[in-house]
Amino acid sequence: MPPARSARRYTPIPFWRRARRIFLLAAIACLIPATVSYVGAMSETHNVGLGVSSVEWLRQHGGGALVTQIENWYYTLNAPPKGGPPLRSLPQVGVPGVGGSDGSESAYRPPRVAPVIHPALPGEGVWKAAAKGAGPRPPILVTTFRSDPEYPQFVAGVAWIDSSLTHLSYMPGLVEPPSPLPNRGPSEVPGTLRKRVVATFNGGFPLETSGGGLIYRGKAKEAMVSGAATVIEYRDGRVDIVRWHDGPQAPANVWFAKQNLPPIIYEGRLNPNLSDGPEWGETVNNAVRVWRSGLGIDRKGNLIYAAADNQTVESLAKILQRAGAVRALELDINEDWTSFISYSRPGAAGPGNLLPEMFRPADRYLTPDERDFFAVYLRPGKKW
Amino acid sequence: MVSLPRDISPGTAARRSLLADLLAAIAIALLTLQLAAGIGVVGFLALLTIATIVLWIVLEAGVHRLRRRGKAHI
Repeated sequence: MPPARSARRYTPIPFWRRARRIFLLAAIACLIPATVSYVGAMSETHNVGLGVSSVEWLRQHGGGALVTQIENWYYTLNAPPKGGPPLRSLPQVGVPGVGGSDGSESAYRPPRVAPVIHPALPGEGVWKAAAKGAGPRPPILVTTFRSDPEYPQFVAGVAWIDSSLTHLSYMPGLVEPPSPLPNRGPSEVPGTLRKRVVATFNGGFPLETSGGGLIYRGKAKEAMVSGAATVIEYRDGRVDIVRWHDGPQAPANVWFAKQNLPPIIYEGRLNPNLSDGPEWGETVNNAVRVWRSGLGIDRKGNLIYAAADNQTVESLAKILQRAGAVRALELDINEDWTSFISYSRPGAAGPGNLLPEMFRPADRYLTPDERDFFAVYLRPGKKW
Repeated sequence: MVSLPRDISPGTAARRSLLADLLAAIAIALLTLQLAAGIGVVGFLALLTIATIVLWIVLEAGVHRLRRRGKAHI
């Protein structure tokens, strides 16, 4: 006969088992709000893969340091070896025969980028027009060169943007910047402006990562940070890259300004702190070799964009300096965010990446993008 | 003063223990969510915790089963 109910004894669970149960239940409880937020974020419009979106979500929800640490381990374990067989040719970029300085004084063209590795490969450092049919004075010139003698297989892509023919526009993305904007725009090159767009490129770190400020349409959306490198467009259409010293609010003559870390080149010199990791923000270390991109300005006020795989902050700065930049800042890093796209015909037709290895498709900015970016338009009255 | 009945069935005792653990777990979860940098990092670590504990429980159950089977053969 079975014992009566009260006669049966309850065997208490051991303490460690109860502790384990409590931690399991606590973890499940913690997972509920995270899951709700994650599912909500993933169900929004994205033009990147689930993996990248998940990492971005984690970064935006307090996991920045964790993601950075994991990225550092990954990139350190997969660091590229030095040396290797020499390259026999460079990737074909631009249109041969149209491009760099012809010696005439009427229109400034940049001088050839002096090769770092000798003998130079055919076309190395020679500027070419980014697009066919861009006329004798194309607004965008592109070139490639091997930038590091210790890594002779690495090729840097550089684009030169004629500021007298073009103007720069800052385009907010779907989620970046996160601050509410009254005129966020379509997060892609607007249809009405496609007939004049000649290039688009990535817009720099998210503000919460860089800790930088933002002025959009003449108003400070995030307080500007003194000393930070700043891409700036004035209301008269001039662009510049400066070290910011104008306070947290928007000066009356500034239309947009975006900050990203300290300058990597200033007044022609490399930042002496390029080997100092913490200064470069909540990103992978300064010395980890990843896709990196940067934007500089030459002595004549023309913009220079550079990108390459397997770069450190210092090697990126050297690429920009060699290409003629006297002031420069780092833009995005990692293959998912690095894009320079030029368009070969009016109407944003014939988009092409600066380097064939660039991971994102060339039509990236012709569909809504998560991140902010820069668009380069021909000035009114200038023709293709 | 009101006290909980002491002469209870084993099932009631187990449920009471589970309720106490659940309340403790909720308190820990709320504290963690308050103190953490964000729900992303909490969710990531919670997922790791759940995976570890579930693996632990499964391994423990497996070992128990093997031991029982071993005793049955003797």
